[in-house]
Amino acid sequence: MFFFTYLARELRRRLRQAIFIALGLAIGVGLVLTVTAAAAGVKNAQAGVLQGLYGVGTDITVTGAAPSPPKGLSGPSSGKGTQITMGPDGAQICTDGKCHALKNGYTIDNLGSASYSPISAASVSKVAALQGVTAAAGGLLLTDNQTTISSTPTQPTSFTVDGADISKPKLGPLSQAAVSSGRAFTAADANKNVALVDKNYAASKGLKVGGTIKIGGTAFTIIGLVAQAEGSSPPNVYVPLARAQAVATSGPTGGSLKNDINTIYVTAAKSTDLATVQHEIAKLLPTAQITTPSSLASQVTGSLTSAAKLANDLGKWLSILVLIAAFAVAVLLTMAAVARRVREFGTLKALGWRGGRIIAQVMGESLAVGILGAAVGVGLGFAGAAIINAIAPSLSATLTQPTGLHMMTPNGAISPTTSHTVSVPMYASVGVTAISVAVVLALAGGLLAGAFGSWRIGRLRPADAIAKVG
Amino acid sequence: MTTMYELTSVSKVYHSGTRTVEAVKGVDLTIDDGAWIAIRGRTGHGKSTLLNLLGGLDRPTSGQLKLDGRDLGRLSDAELTRVRANAIGFVFQTFNLVPTLSAAENVEAALIPLHISGAAERRRRVAAALDSVGLADRARHLPSELSGGQQQRVAIARALVKEPKVLLADEPTGNLDEETRDEIIALMEKLWRERGLTLILVSHDGAVVRRAQRLAVMTRGHLALRS
Repeated sequence: MFFFTYLARELRRRLRQAIFIALGLAIGVGLVLTVTAAAAGVKNAQAGVLQGLYGVGTDITVTGAAPSPPKGLSGPSSGKGTQITMGPDGAQICTDGKCHALKNGYTIDNLGSASYSPISAASVSKVAALQGVTAAAGGLLLTDNQTTISSTPTQPTSFTVDGADISKPKLGPLSQAAVSSGRAFTAADANKNVALVDKNYAASKGLKVGGTIKIGGTAFTIIGLVAQAEGSSPPNVYVPLARAQAVATSGPTGGSLKNDINTIYVTAAKSTDLATVQHEIAKLLPTAQITTPSSLASQVTGSLTSAAKLANDLGKWLSILVLIAAFAVAVLLTMAAVARRVREFGTLKALGWRGGRIIAQVMGESLAVGILGAAVGVGLGFAGAAIINAIAPSLSATLTQPTGLHMMTPNGAISPTTSHTVSVPMYASVGVTAISVAVVLALAGGLLAGAFGSWRIGRLRPADAIAKVG
Repeated sequence: MTTMYELTSVSKVYHSGTRTVEAVKGVDLTIDDGAWIAIRGRTGHGKSTLLNLLGGLDRPTSGQLKLDGRDLGRLSDAELTRVRANAIGFVFQTFNLVPTLSAAENVEAALIPLHISGAAERRRRVAAALDSVGLADRARHLPSELSGGQQQRVAIARALVKEPKVLLADEPTGNLDEETRDEIIALMEKLWRERGLTLILVSHDGAVVRRAQRLAVMTRGHLALRS
């Protein structure tokens, strides 16, 4: 067919220029694909982290409001509740204004709802009864803080404890934990001092199945170790909800949590119902914090967040800039090529070729260059993703939460926070949608270049074209 | 004898900025079907402009230019394109071959607007056209692999492959040596006789224009017929 013969011959004649344009488009497309792959990898890593933080099967997490520092923090024994004061004369613990000296080496072990204020356990059934809610389970997310008194202020050690509703195993953080040794909770464990310990935490602390762990000053028997998804920030220890309620206090200065929870895990019937359900829960529990996956994402910091920012901001704009440059180069070179071929096109018009037929020929050439650019660009995109996977360091995600402790030191009040940092593997992968978009971009670049060239041909008068060189 | 061209007070004015150039001034001319007319004149006196008007590559600014009874100035662009595709063959001084296409493909390019169905028929006509100019054995050669004379022969084959009524040649021997010039003119004369073409040839070469039936001279846009 004459069209393809002419097209192939013309591309071969200006092979270097065709390769240059195709390479420009390919680099743009390859960069778009690489950035898209990296962004998808970061997004997947984020999703993994959020899923771990959030709990499988949970659409909305309701937590009690973050507790505020107790009044009287500015000075010792000036308020109600329990306060620990460190000073030049040593440490003292004050409860409701009565203070006792603490000897160096004394360890305070407190299991408290450090991050969240308590919610009445009765709220769970009320939330479960809301329209659009398929299931709801209560939980107690607690922090066990252990502070050893010494003459110099020391950072408290802490671990997280989840009081899990073992009658609803498909909701909450425990739902994604797999027993790696020992056994899982059974209904008979509901009121027993038994615990499941995260495998990695157990390894770091030398804890084993059959051993015990002190939680809030009470010894719990470890009945099993659980493996949890990498990239998540799972609780270190799980205990039955009833036992957590019995042992925990609402922070180091608070009272019992016997009839309280601080977290409600909610599953909505449809994702489109989320906003309505969120609104209904807010009406039911006006002081509670309602967290959706998107709101939780904003609390995560660390290199994962930086990578996401890098991919979304710098990567996106870099790709757009390169694409614009590639398009501009393609357009300019195509227009220059058309200018060099004025006599050729003028001759074809003299032979009776319609302008549209000549434009189709030029568009065909540009499209072929675009296809070449797309093919090479997809290859570059895969190579870019492979390079990212080969050299990218493991990302980390950090979720910082208050411990609930408020301490006085000679330098002022401190409210230590606890943060969970998890290592997140990132895998940049090139998806079919990204490939389709990249191919469309390259073809658009080719067509754009052809369109500009065609515009010039459309304005060409055959007599002028021939006179120009004749 | 029927009339192929009938020109009545044909003028062509170009505007270049504030300057106005009247390249062709009130030309009256009648050319019979099958005639061979040579147009001679100095460079810049309007020969090529007149040829462009005759070939439908440009439109007169004023006057009437009829080809086979149709006023070319009144035709739409599409109709004018069809006239060029079917009725007129062009031969240029610089050959104007597409450099990436072979001799055969260059000739075939003239058949594209005719929408001739069947590659075999197109190949047959291309082969016949190249044979008629003595280049049957050069069909696969690129223009760069051919001499100037051979390239002009390909251009003549391209002009004649669609069997036009009119052949317009603008300085067809301007880029050739004397020996090749004589060969090309002899070839054009032979084809003119065999095919009954109307041949209009622009040249400033006396040896070329002397072969024509009629001679016209362009001087500052005016055309004067000589015997």
